[in-house]
Amino acid sequence: MYQIRIIKFLLVIGLLIPSCITPFQPDIPPEAVNKYVVFGQVNDNSEYHTVTISMASPVSDPQYSPVSGCSVRISDDNGNQFTLQESLTEPGVYSAHIGSQYLAVGKSFKVDIITQDGTAIESDYDRIPPCPEVGEVYYELDEIISEFTGQPEKGIRFYTDLDAGNLESRFFKWNVTETWEYRVDYPREWYYDGTVHHIYPPDYSRKVCWSTEKIKEIYTLSTSDLNANIYSKFPLNFVSSRTSRLIYGYSLLIEQSALSEEAYSFWDQMRINSTGLGGLYERQPLSITGNLHNKTDPDKEVLGFFGASSVRSKRIFISSVPDLPIEYVGYCTPVLLEHGFAELSPSDYPAWLMGDKERYYMTLLSNDCVDCLYYGGINIKPDFWPY
Amino acid sequence: MKARLIIILTIVLLIHPEIVAQDGIIDCHLINSSFRAFSETVFDQTGIRIYYRDEWVSKLEISLEADSITVREALDRILKGTGIEVSDWNGGLVVLPGARLFSGLPAYAQVAPAEMKQGRKEEVMTVSEARYITGRSPGVTQSIVIGRPGENRGSNIVKALGRVIDAETGEPLHFVAVYITEAKTGVATDVNGFFNLALMSGTYNVQIEFLGYERKRYLFEVFSDDSFVLRIRKTAVELKEIVVSGERHASIRAKEPGFDQVSMKSVRTLPMMMGERDILKISATLPGIVTVGEGTAGINVRGSSSDQNGFYLNRIPVYNTFHLFGFFPAFNSDIIRDLSVYKGYIPAQYGGRLASVFNVTSRQGNRKRFTIHGGISPITANMVLEGPVKKDTSSFLFSARSSYSDWILSRIKDPSISASSARFNDFSGGLNRDFRKSQLSLFIYRSYDYFSLSDINSYEYYNNGASFIIGHNYTNTLRGEFTVAGSQYGFSTTDRQQPSSAYRHAYKMGHYEARVDFRHLLNEKNTLEYGAEMIYYMLDRGTVSPFLDISQRRTVKLGVDRGIESALFITDSYDVTGRIKLNLGIRYMLYTPVGPAKTFQYTAGAPRDPRYIEDSLTFGKRSIIRWYHEPEIRASLNFATDKDGSVKLAFNQMHQNLFMLNTNTSVAPNTQWKLADYHLHPSGSNQLSIGLFRTLPQSGLEFSAESFLKLTRNYSEFRDGADFLGNDPVESAVLQGNQKAYGIELYLRRSRRKLEGWISYTWSRSFIHVDGDHSWYRINNGEAYSANYDVPHSLTTVLNYYFTRRLFLSSILTYQTGKPVTYPESVFYSDESPYLDYSKRNFYRIPDYFRADFSLTVEGDLRKNKLLHNSFVFNLYNATGRNNPYSVYYRTQNGRISSFSYSVIGVPVFTATWVFKLGNYVSD
Repeated sequence: MYQIRIIKFLLVIGLLIPSCITPFQPDIPPEAVNKYVVFGQVNDNSEYHTVTISMASPVSDPQYSPVSGCSVRISDDNGNQFTLQESLTEPGVYSAHIGSQYLAVGKSFKVDIITQDGTAIESDYDRIPPCPEVGEVYYELDEIISEFTGQPEKGIRFYTDLDAGNLESRFFKWNVTETWEYRVDYPREWYYDGTVHHIYPPDYSRKVCWSTEKIKEIYTLSTSDLNANIYSKFPLNFVSSRTSRLIYGYSLLIEQSALSEEAYSFWDQMRINSTGLGGLYERQPLSITGNLHNKTDPDKEVLGFFGASSVRSKRIFISSVPDLPIEYVGYCTPVLLEHGFAELSPSDYPAWLMGDKERYYMTLLSNDCVDCLYYGGINIKPDFWPY
Repeated sequence: MKARLIIILTIVLLIHPEIVAQDGIIDCHLINSSFRAFSETVFDQTGIRIYYRDEWVSKLEISLEADSITVREALDRILKGTGIEVSDWNGGLVVLPGARLFSGLPAYAQVAPAEMKQGRKEEVMTVSEARYITGRSPGVTQSIVIGRPGENRGSNIVKALGRVIDAETGEPLHFVAVYITEAKTGVATDVNGFFNLALMSGTYNVQIEFLGYERKRYLFEVFSDDSFVLRIRKTAVELKEIVVSGERHASIRAKEPGFDQVSMKSVRTLPMMMGERDILKISATLPGIVTVGEGTAGINVRGSSSDQNGFYLNRIPVYNTFHLFGFFPAFNSDIIRDLSVYKGYIPAQYGGRLASVFNVTSRQGNRKRFTIHGGISPITANMVLEGPVKKDTSSFLFSARSSYSDWILSRIKDPSISASSARFNDFSGGLNRDFRKSQLSLFIYRSYDYFSLSDINSYEYYNNGASFIIGHNYTNTLRGEFTVAGSQYGFSTTDRQQPSSAYRHAYKMGHYEARVDFRHLLNEKNTLEYGAEMIYYMLDRGTVSPFLDISQRRTVKLGVDRGIESALFITDSYDVTGRIKLNLGIRYMLYTPVGPAKTFQYTAGAPRDPRYIEDSLTFGKRSIIRWYHEPEIRASLNFATDKDGSVKLAFNQMHQNLFMLNTNTSVAPNTQWKLADYHLHPSGSNQLSIGLFRTLPQSGLEFSAESFLKLTRNYSEFRDGADFLGNDPVESAVLQGNQKAYGIELYLRRSRRKLEGWISYTWSRSFIHVDGDHSWYRINNGEAYSANYDVPHSLTTVLNYYFTRRLFLSSILTYQTGKPVTYPESVFYSDESPYLDYSKRNFYRIPDYFRADFSLTVEGDLRKNKLLHNSFVFNLYNATGRNNPYSVYYRTQNGRISSFSYSVIGVPVFTATWVFKLGNYVSD
């Protein structure tokens, strides 16, 4: 922002002194752009372990470009090797089943990749440190200034406590996934597709849905310099009262992983760098180094990280937040059909109508009102949902 | 009296003497007698009359014991070294101070043979030619008698205090080179025109050289301790003159390594930007000094950051030396007399900055008459008023300058621009007064800048300062200067782009200083300079507060820093032999941040991050937070290899307690100063430099080559990923590491020719290395990287061509390597979120910089007596119209990142300026 503003300052001086802003393509050599990006992890909490391989893209044209057809192999320090298979549906995603007998704390893993063009990529070994159980997870009322509106927003912030006791692990990362129930305003009862239909009893299957999202923020903590391996009230995500999340029930899955120092350092840099693409001039740029190497051409950088970790998880559930007024008003706006069905065209069919047991009204209900799947959730209740 | 004397001379010289008077023999037995008694003795014994005036000889005490001595011989003994000459006249003898009557003209014939040969012998003794003989004209030796014969008791060393002043304005002159041929030493005058001499009694040839002034030779006849005044006159530009071999040594020998002095006179011919002549920007055409592009307020000296330079205007520290983001100097160039830049050997009296000291001194004002001058350019107008308060002893100087660019903006149709505003002004006033042994000088200064963009953002800043200096000559060899100076710098900015997050931020800092300086000439070999200094800093880093009620911005207090910097210093300038000169100095620096303050304590070894705050410490008012103290050694050795060249070595240790938080990604003019505190330590540097200097007098060339190595520790740099606008404590965003800079500077100058100017080339590198045990103490993975201002190649040529004395063309060509930059190289995805993959820090460079400026000056006529002198200056800035990127930046548009280059001036700019002044061409 500052940069832009100063440039505006200078622009005005530029009226006295002609100045100019011209599109400019910095001369970045292709080898600095075309880097392999590898992310992968083995952990003691899952059966399938994945590695994703992609190419970085030019800054002017950002896109995810997966790399298919690689041969990928994870091996441990005892010489066990596991070959990963590329997913049929998701190119660039490779996975393998590794039995839990191999995933004990203290074991080290690395990945070896040979791409279709013969480039060999190898990671350093990363060792599984022990992970303590997830401590208490709780929330407190909080207020932030919205990035979009500049207005204050009330909500809750989650916290967790860490007590790693006598464990050697000093580096932690949390992945947080939220699931919440939301509802649309009306069930499906009346619709028009040339003629009017009545569904009875009304179809409630699209009225209640559950949405699950991974929190994109990265949460890292090092206790390496604390006296005790304890940390209280580590702040996690903020949930605003201006969304539908806190109305009908909210669940948070906290996956706590213990990391090696290298992995911590990588993810901490990722955390700092994750302000998004807009805040380019508010931070000192940070070049992130991972633990992958190009064996064919050692001068070429490989982005990403392959890590081994132990993971403990915990799920909490909140049915409602006392003292927090919900400021969410849905997106449903029924529209009165002043000229009757003549306003509708076949592309609108089926056009849902407001109504009750006896009759319908000439009021159109858009998908916002009758279809919770429209918002991207699922209408199958997750099995962890308590009611 | 003079007129009468001259008439006498004219008559005298047309009559051939018939009697040779010195043949008379006398016996003389006089002890502590007067000259009158002597002359009566002579008349009584020989009948020879001695003609004299009482005031010429009243000082003389005569003790002469001799028998059978000629009158002439006796007179020679008595008058030896007094500057009084004896001539035969009409059977008698005439004694005249500083002049001799010629019985014939053989010596004179050698001086002006051409005229003699044309048979003008009879007319030779016109009035003007007689004046020539008595030494009023340049090139002719004038005698200066220092002390009285016979008074030199005790030691043989005579200690004298000299002063050089402008004969026309009465102003003392600074940096005049006084070169004593026999002693092979030179000395430069100080700000008040003073210089001290320690010489054996005897007769010396002395050369005085000062740009824009007539060159003078004096015969110093030194008897005893005394003070004296030399008056020199301005001269129009000298062209095609013969440079006398050996004469230019004074400037070369007096120069310390890494010292540059720019006088305003020497730059009056250079191209101007927007009609303004900027002495600081001109200093950047010298080797080792770089400004990175236009529109920057910073100057980088020898691979150092811009906050490592100290700027002083008549001892007032100036924290923002430019108007309008670097386009104009923050003071009126018309009052500036000279600029001295110390970048190699920095004398111990200066401290507090790692790289350089820029001392700007203003003129003191005309002491003889009132005068007014000014200039009008498309953007600014300025005016200077000066004159005597009391003739010859005191003077005032007042200058005012203001921009009037708003009317241009308001005429532009675009509403967002016509509602914008850009203006600045500055004022300064000085008062100087001489007492019998003291000099008093008062100077005040104010500059102000305001900029607003169409009610979206506004920005203003100011410098206020004052200095009060009393100089006192205790003896001819001991001079003291007592200074109090204060300066305030502040800015305030309002950001209204988003009404709901609009904010206002005001920042101010104060620098209050008291110091004493003594210059003590011990003997003919040693001069001591010593003193003490104390500075109180107060930095109110301000509060970011919401602007208008609608703003929901949270108020953030950035805090207040206070600190006291004190120093004791002493330097001995030791003239080892005529060829070797040594300066050895030590400065002891003590710095204490003081309370009230609150600071955090972080877990030992953990990153300084808010997450690891363990405790906080509170310091009460005036309590000392930490002691930092260290000695600094300053040394230079100057070895004259022969009469035209020298080798110079310097070693310099410096400390800096105040630094600027700056980044290379943002060019915010509101970058803040920060004091060293509990966590951030003062930075220190060691610099070693070596230089070769040579003059080629016959061709008017001067050449120098210097090389330096500078190592800095505790250099503060933003850590990777630091949030510039965050509210976290500064120490969590800043790491301290090492800086290493080295380079070679070449300089070739040709002077006093039709085509004159200089070429300077600098090759230098500057790297920063921040490494630590843990990744969070590293920048760029612990690898060294180019500093933001690392400019390996910098070439500047400054050329003037005089068509006539009144019409000349000048040019400046500048080439620089582009400055380093960190680019995002690519975008990659993790968990469907995009991340930018940045290059290593400062791995890339923006395109190279090149600019050519030309200026044509037409001076008004050169008549001496006139009311107003006019000149017109036509400037062409960036003649090739090259689009020099000032910065490259990125913007997110529709989810895509686009890159742009921003050039401040991408086309040629033509300006015309009218400059007027009361008086003639040479008037100040």
